[in-house]
Amino acid sequence: MINIRTETSLQAGLKKSTFQLFLATGAWVSSTALMSFGPSALWGFDTAVTFLAIAVNTIAGGFMLYSFFKHLKNMDELQRQTHLEAMALTLGITMVLTVIYGALPQAKVLASTQPANVLFVIGISYILSVITLWLRRTNA
Amino acid sequence: MKNRLKVLRADRDWTQADLADRLQVTRQTINAIEKGKYDPSLPLAFKIAVLFGLPIEEVFSPNTD
Repeated sequence: MINIRTETSLQAGLKKSTFQLFLATGAWVSSTALMSFGPSALWGFDTAVTFLAIAVNTIAGGFMLYSFFKHLKNMDELQRQTHLEAMALTLGITMVLTVIYGALPQAKVLASTQPANVLFVIGISYILSVITLWLRRTNA
Repeated sequence: MKNRLKVLRADRDWTQADLADRLQVTRQTINAIEKGKYDPSLPLAFKIAVLFGLPIEEVFSPNTD
């Protein structure tokens, strides 16, 4: 007997929201690059155009947040719980490490700090948390 | 929380994927529930009970230890 499994509405919904999230993230990354490098490379520091680029970036960021929220709602409950717990862990880890990182220049260990480094901590913590929590629950 | 999901599923000759499709969850969720690594939400627990045609307390029971 050939068992052909059709795509469930859960899988179809997840596929659709993943694609929307991919587009939204792409739009946000592109508009962030435009906002950062546009003033010097494209429009010669014209303030009006820079404000427009900031507005576009804000809207793209809002669309990305909305898409992520929608994606979270499309997940099944174990996936959703895993992601929510990963977010909680990420918040805690980021808070602790940011306080330490912020204290380093005062202690003369570092000359200065880069706020963008916090984004790396958030990203890496989140990915590792999702993987660890998922494997802990789903591994035999 | 203990459950009889594996037994009930085996009685009907369903795979974890079959049950997951019927409940609109992932196969990993079924696996985690069967192994006691994840307690389902109340709506999902009721959905499971309805699917097997049993009262919820005949599918799930509290850990007494």
